[in-house]
Amino acid sequence: MVKTDIKYVQKDVHKGKAMFRIFPGLCKGCGLCREKCPEEALSWSEELGVYGTPTVVADAEKCKACRICERVCPDCAIAIERKAKQKKEN
Amino acid sequence: MKVLPKIPKSWNLETKPHKFCPGCGHGLILKALGQVIDELGIQDRVVFGCDIGCSLLSWDFFNVDSVQTHHGRTTPVMVGIKRANPELVVVAYMGDGGGYAIGSQHLVNAATRDDKITVLLVNNTNYAMTGGQMAPTTMPGQKTETTPYGRDVSEAGYPMMGPEMVAAISQDGAYVARGSVARFRKLKEYIKKALENQMAMRGFSFVETLSTCPTNWRTNAEQTWAFLEDEMTKQYPPGELKTPTGKEG
Repeated sequence: MVKTDIKYVQKDVHKGKAMFRIFPGLCKGCGLCREKCPEEALSWSEELGVYGTPTVVADAEKCKACRICERVCPDCAIAIERKAKQKKEN
Repeated sequence: MKVLPKIPKSWNLETKPHKFCPGCGHGLILKALGQVIDELGIQDRVVFGCDIGCSLLSWDFFNVDSVQTHHGRTTPVMVGIKRANPELVVVAYMGDGGGYAIGSQHLVNAATRDDKITVLLVNNTNYAMTGGQMAPTTMPGQKTETTPYGRDVSEAGYPMMGPEMVAAISQDGAYVARGSVARFRKLKEYIKKALENQMAMRGFSFVETLSTCPTNWRTNAEQTWAFLEDEMTKQYPPGELKTPTGKEG
């Protein structure tokens, strides 16, 4: 994979306080994140992953940006950014 | 702004997505190892050795010096590298087939000699690369390709408790633990302690990790977590088995 053109799909979650980002080029559609989500906020997406399997998308209402899915992803395909935290750091 | 995935800095992004199956626990263990290497800032000192089996698919995983050798012989190769240059931090990464079956003599001897190396062993209860045959770690009653009616302990014996064995034969400075990919933070803590133990030259460090294999277990995501967390932890309780004497905490 070339470092410059990594495709991603992002979505505002947790009342716009966080950003849920998925990299379809890394997601293999194993579904481990969906099972670990405490809010059951993840569902299969229209976007296809690297093996042609569905990737996941977070529900904007349910997702609390706890980052458990980010931690359990064996491929590091999920990245969650909390916006408020980022502002403090800057 | 260029947006990159949140991967450890020591990972080689050019080779991602990695070669492991969807849902494989190897990715999580190597993620923990990558994060620990980043936190300790030892990327230029690490030598990573992988074994035969699924673990060899990690040969281009990291941006660190890597070597790949035969079944279980990763341990003596890493011992040699460590003896030649004690400044290096060596990691022998192997599966249960390499570490407990064909290469167990190396693990036993390295643990007895108290070599200052770190061994990370991945336990997924079968020989995954060859199609899911029975391994020393297959649990009683578990169905595999070669035990289609479940492992019968009267015929096929009992599973191997690796960390317990290493804890029994190793010296006082050794660090022995069993982690699980379902407890990622604990696993990271164990790997970090194991590397620090090696860097302090206290003794042999061994971490076995309970991993997932959805392809050969023939499970979906829900059943995979259930098998790992409910059934495997009954047979193999995670935790620290041996910590170096005189070490705080």
